[in-house]
Amino acid sequence: MGVAALIVSALVGTTSASAAASAALAPYDAKHAGGTVTLVAQAAAGTLDPKVNYTAQFWQLYQATYDGLLTFSYGSGATTFQVVPDLAEALPVMSNGGKTLTFKLRTGIKFSDGKPVTVADVKASFERIFKVSSPTAGSFYNGIVGADVCLKTPATCKLDKGVVVDAAKNTVVLNLVAADETILSKLAVPHAVINPASAPAKDAGTTLIPTTGAYMYKSYDPNKSLVMVRNPYYKEWSHAAQPQGYPDQILFKFGITPTAQVTAVENNQANWAYDPIPADRLNEIGTKFPSQVHVNPLTAMWYLPLNVNIAPFNNLKARQAVNYAIDRAAMVKIFGGTQLAGPVCSFLPPNFPGHVDYCGYTKGATPAKPATAWSAPDLALAKSLVKASGTAGQAVGIVVSDDDVNKQMGIYLQSVLNSIGYKATVKPISGNIQFTYIQNTKNKVQISVSQWYQDYPAASDFLDVLLGCASFTPNSDSSINMSGYCNKALDAKMAKAKALGLTDPVAANKMWGAIDQEVMADAPVAVVFTPKQLDFISSGTKNYVFSLQYKMFVSQLQVK
Amino acid sequence: MALKDSSEAIFSESPGKIALRILRKDKRSKISLTILGVIVFLSFMAPVFSHYVADSNPFESTLNATINVHGVEKPVLEPSTTGLGLGVTPIGPTWNPRSYFLGADGQGRDVMARLLYGGRSTLLIGTTAGLLCIFFSLLIGIIAGYRRGWIDAVLSRILDIIWAFPVYLLAISLSVVLLTSGLTIGFIHLGSGSFALPIVIIGVVYIPYVARPIRAQVLALREREFVRAAIGTGAKTSTIIFREILPNVMPSVVVFIPIIVSLSMLTESALSFLSIGVQPPAASWGTIINDGLALLYTRPMVGLAPGIMIVLTAAALNLYGDAVRDALDPKTRARGD
Amino acid sequence: MVTFIARRFSAMIFVLTSISILVFFIFFATPGVDPAARIAGRNADQQTLMQVRHSFELDKPLPFRYVSMMRHLFVQRDLTSYVNRGAKVIPQLSQAIPATFSLVIGAALLWLFAGIFFGVLAASSKRKWIDPTISFLGIVGISLPVYWLGEVVNLITQSKLHHSVFRWVPPLGYVGLSDNPWQWFMHLIFPWLTLAVLYAGIYVRVLRNEIMVVMGEDYIKTERAKGASEKRILYKHATRMSLMTIVSLFGLDFGALVGGYALLTEVVFGIQGVGKLTFDSLQNFDLPVIMATVMYSSFFVVFMNALVDVLYAVLDPRVRRA
Repeated sequence: MGVAALIVSALVGTTSASAAASAALAPYDAKHAGGTVTLVAQAAAGTLDPKVNYTAQFWQLYQATYDGLLTFSYGSGATTFQVVPDLAEALPVMSNGGKTLTFKLRTGIKFSDGKPVTVADVKASFERIFKVSSPTAGSFYNGIVGADVCLKTPATCKLDKGVVVDAAKNTVVLNLVAADETILSKLAVPHAVINPASAPAKDAGTTLIPTTGAYMYKSYDPNKSLVMVRNPYYKEWSHAAQPQGYPDQILFKFGITPTAQVTAVENNQANWAYDPIPADRLNEIGTKFPSQVHVNPLTAMWYLPLNVNIAPFNNLKARQAVNYAIDRAAMVKIFGGTQLAGPVCSFLPPNFPGHVDYCGYTKGATPAKPATAWSAPDLALAKSLVKASGTAGQAVGIVVSDDDVNKQMGIYLQSVLNSIGYKATVKPISGNIQFTYIQNTKNKVQISVSQWYQDYPAASDFLDVLLGCASFTPNSDSSINMSGYCNKALDAKMAKAKALGLTDPVAANKMWGAIDQEVMADAPVAVVFTPKQLDFISSGTKNYVFSLQYKMFVSQLQVK
Repeated sequence: MALKDSSEAIFSESPGKIALRILRKDKRSKISLTILGVIVFLSFMAPVFSHYVADSNPFESTLNATINVHGVEKPVLEPSTTGLGLGVTPIGPTWNPRSYFLGADGQGRDVMARLLYGGRSTLLIGTTAGLLCIFFSLLIGIIAGYRRGWIDAVLSRILDIIWAFPVYLLAISLSVVLLTSGLTIGFIHLGSGSFALPIVIIGVVYIPYVARPIRAQVLALREREFVRAAIGTGAKTSTIIFREILPNVMPSVVVFIPIIVSLSMLTESALSFLSIGVQPPAASWGTIINDGLALLYTRPMVGLAPGIMIVLTAAALNLYGDAVRDALDPKTRARGD
Repeated sequence: MVTFIARRFSAMIFVLTSISILVFFIFFATPGVDPAARIAGRNADQQTLMQVRHSFELDKPLPFRYVSMMRHLFVQRDLTSYVNRGAKVIPQLSQAIPATFSLVIGAALLWLFAGIFFGVLAASSKRKWIDPTISFLGIVGISLPVYWLGEVVNLITQSKLHHSVFRWVPPLGYVGLSDNPWQWFMHLIFPWLTLAVLYAGIYVRVLRNEIMVVMGEDYIKTERAKGASEKRILYKHATRMSLMTIVSLFGLDFGALVGGYALLTEVVFGIQGVGKLTFDSLQNFDLPVIMATVMYSSFFVVFMNALVDVLYAVLDPRVRRA
C-alpha cells in the first residue's frame, strides 16, 4: 500500500464538496441497453492515436475504448479523480523508495481483434510512447529508466531496464530514475494505454488501433464522422475502471456549426452537442429545456499570460495594474453569465488540491493582505499603478483566438487597458494556431487570453507546468510557460513541494497553496475566472453521469 | 423632353452635356441622389449623434451600463431570469434616439451610433474598391478585346489567375502577418488598421467578373461595321476606343456598378472578420453584421440594420445607374418610356 | 480547334503552376503556421518537436519541400494531411466533390431560370410596377450576406417554425444521390435556394439591362419594320445577344463555386463539400489539403473560362473571326 495509497488519497481527500456527491457508478441495467447515441461537433480532433492525441474531445472517448495499467474511476463527484487499477489487478506495489512499481497484469483480457493482452504488449506500449513522439514523452514519462536514450533516438526505443516484464509470472515492473508523486496519474491518462505490440511505430492518424474497452472503433473519417461499436471480445472485469456501456453504437458526426448543434439536440436529431453553446442560445436552452441542461464544475481557468520579458509587462506595477483593472464579472458576462463561470484570482482553481480561497487583486485588498474572494475591480488604483510604472501610453497588443467568445473578451480587455492608460489593440488569430503562436517568443506577444484545463488533479500540473523555468523555451512553438516567467527560488520551492508529496501529501498541498499566493504577488499572469462545463442533451437521452476528469461519460448515456 | 428640345440640342451641345441635362431632370436620379445624400449625411453626423443625441461612446465597452426604462434602472446586458438563468442578453431596440435606439451589442455599446460611424468606413471602402474594380476592368477588358492576339492571351491568363486565386488564404495569411509585424512594401508600412489593403484586395478580386463580359462585348463590337470603317479610315486606336468602343460598352458596365459596390461592402464584412481593414473597436456595417450573427437568435436587429443600409445604398446606386444609362444611350431613350 | 485546345492546355499548366507557387510561398511566409508544434501536441518537449519536424520534412529547404509536395500530389497521388496524420488528401477531395456538384448544379439551374425568366419579364413587361419591383428584389438578393441568409433560413426552418410549417425539413447535412435520391433532394432544397438568391439577383439585373440595350439596336428596328412581333424579336434576337454577358458571368461563377467558393453555404448547412474542405483546411492551416483544393479549383476556373470562350463563337458569329 504505502505511497501509492497516500498519493491516491491526496488526490481525493483534500477536495471539498463538488456538484455531485462522490459516488460509485450505478450497477448495469440491461433494460436500457441498445440504440445509437449521436454526438455532434464542428470538427474532428485530429489523430485518433491515443498516444498522440492531446485533446479533451477525444480523451472523453478513450475512457470507453482504451485501457492502461491504471485509469481514472467511473462514478460521480470526487470518485472520478481516483486512480483505480484497470488492466493491472491492483494498484502497484511500491518499493525502492518509490522508484520501483510492480504490477500484476490481469489475465483473460483480449483486444478487439481477438488477440490476448500480454506483458509483451505492455512493454511495447511504453516504448511506443517514444516511438510516436507522444507530446508527453518528455514531460510525463522521462522519469522511466532508459527514457533519455529513447527521447534522443525514438525509432529504436528499447526500455529493457525501465519496463521489465515477466511472461511466466505475468508481472510488469516499472523502474523510475527518481520517485514521482504524480506517477499514478501519469499512468492513468490515455498516453499510457496498452496497445498491441503490432500497433504502428508512428502516429497512427486515421488508422484504427484495436481496443480493450467496452467499445471499439469501426471507422474514422475526420471530415464526416467517427463510429464506435461494441467490442465483441469485451467482458466487464472492473465496474469502476471499464464498465459495460449502454448504446450499441456511438456515432460522432462532424461538420455541424455550434448553433446548428444546439438546434439538432433540441429537435432530438442528436443526443449531445460537443462545442460550447453559443451565447445567444443559452437563455433559450435554460428556459425551454432546463431538464436537459447539466452544469458541472471544472478544474480549469481562463487567464491572461503577461509576458514578463518585454515591455510593458516586464514591470511588476504594470502587471499588478492589469490584475486590478479587469472586471472579472464583466468577463463572466461575456462567457455566459454567473451560472457558467465564477471570478477567481488564485492560480489553482477551486476544489483543486492545494487551492486556497483568496484574492489579492480586488477592491480593498492587496497581495500581502488578500480578501477571501474577488468582489470588484479597482480602476483608480490600476491607473495610478500604470502611471507609477512609467509604462503609460505604450502600445499593447492583445492576442486572442478568433472565435466569438475570445474575440469579445479581447475587445473588452482593449477597452479596459485603454482606460488605464495604454494604447491597446486586439489581435484575433485563428483558434488553431493561437495556442502555439502565443508560446513563441519570436512573435513578441505581450498579453493574450488562454485557458488551461488539468491533465490530472495535481497542483504541479498547474503551477510547475505553467510557471516553471523548464517550461520556458525561447523561440519555440512549444513553450507552455507563456509568461516567460523563470523564478529560480520558486522553482526550488516547487521541487520541495513535489518531494514532500511523496510522504506527506497534505503538507505538500499546503505548500502549493503558499506557492500560489507567492507567485500571484509577482503577477506573471492575470487569472480571470473558472469555467463550468455545460452539457446539453436531448429529451430522448437519459443517465447523464459526469466525470471531473474526462467530463460526460459517453458510454453511459441511455437512449432506450 | 420634347422633340423640339432634343433636335436643337443635337446641333448645339456635346453628347456629354446632353446626357447630363437629361439626367438632372430624371426623377429617378433625383430620388436616388437624395437617398444617397441622406445616408452620407447621417454617416457624416455620426459624432454629433453619438455625443449630443445618444450621449454614449460607441467604442467603449460598457458591460455594466444601465439605462432608465419607465423609471426602472435596467442593465444593458441583462442576465437571464427565466429557467436556469443561463446567458446574458443585450437590450433590444428602445426606439428612443436618446438611448440605444436600435438596442445594444454584446459589449453594451449603442448599435445606432455604431451604425452611423460604420457607414463612413463601409462607404469609403466599398465605393473606392468598386470604382477601382470598374476602372481596371474597363482598361483590361477593352485592351484584351480590342487587341486580341497575345496581349489578349496574357491578360486573360492574368484574369484567370486572379479569379482562381485563393483570396481567403491570402487574407488569413495577411492578417497574421499584419498582426505580428505589419507589412512593409518598399517604404510603405501597413499596419492592421490600414484601409488600403481591403480596398486593393476587394478591388482586384472582382476585376475578372466585370472585365470578361466587357472583353466579350469588345470582341463583338470590334467586328461591327462602324468600327471596321473607322479602322479602315486609319483612325488612331485611342480615338476608336474612346469614340466608338467605350460609349457602346458603358451602358452594360453601368449596371455592374451597384452590383460591385454591394459585393464590395459584403466582402469588406468578410475581410474585417479576418482582421483586415476595420479593427476593433472601430465599426463598419460589415463588423456590425458579424456582431449580429452572434446575436441572431436573441437580437436579430443588430444583424438586420446594417444589411438594410447596404440594401438602401445599393438600391439607390442602382436607380441612379439606370438613369445614367438611359441618359447616355439614345437608343434606349427612343423606346419611349 | 486542336491548336486552341493545345494553347489553352499549356495556359492551364502555367496558371496552375503560378498559383501553386504563390500558395506555397504565402503559407510559409505566415508566422505561426509551423505545423510541427500543433501536431506534436501541447507542451511537447523540444526533442519531440524536432522529431515531428523531421518526419514532415519541415527541416528541409523550401524549394525541396515544394517539389516534394507537388510530386506527392500529382505523381504519386499519396499526399497526406498535416492535421489528420495518415489521411490521404486526394480521397478526401474526391469524396467531397459530389456534394459540391449537387449543390452548385441545383442552385445554378434555379438562378439561371429565375434570372432569365425575371430578367426578360422586367425588360419587356408593359405594366409599370413590374420592372422596379423585380429590380429592387434583385438588389436585395445581391446585398444579403450568404452566411447570414443561411443562418436565418436555419433559424426559421430548423428552429422557430420547425414544428409547424417546416416540419418536413430534414436535419442539416448531405445525403448522397445514390444513397437515397429523395433525401438527397430534400436536404438540398434550402441550400439551393440560399445559394441561388445572390446570383439570381445579379443575373436578373444584368439580363434585363442587356435586353434593353439590345432592343434599342438598329437591327432590331429593322426586324420591327419587317413586321416581326415583339415576342419573336425578344426571343429570337434580343435574348440570344444578351446571353453573351450572362454566359461570361456563368462561366466565372460556376467555375468558382464548383471549385469551392460556396464554402460559407456548405458550412452553414453542414454539407461536406469541397468548399467545407477548403474552409476547414484554411482554419487548420493544413497546407496539403489547401494545395489540393486550390489546384482543383484553379483547374475548374480555367476550364470553364476556356469553355465560355468557345461558347462566345457559337453565340455571336462575329466573334469567330477573332
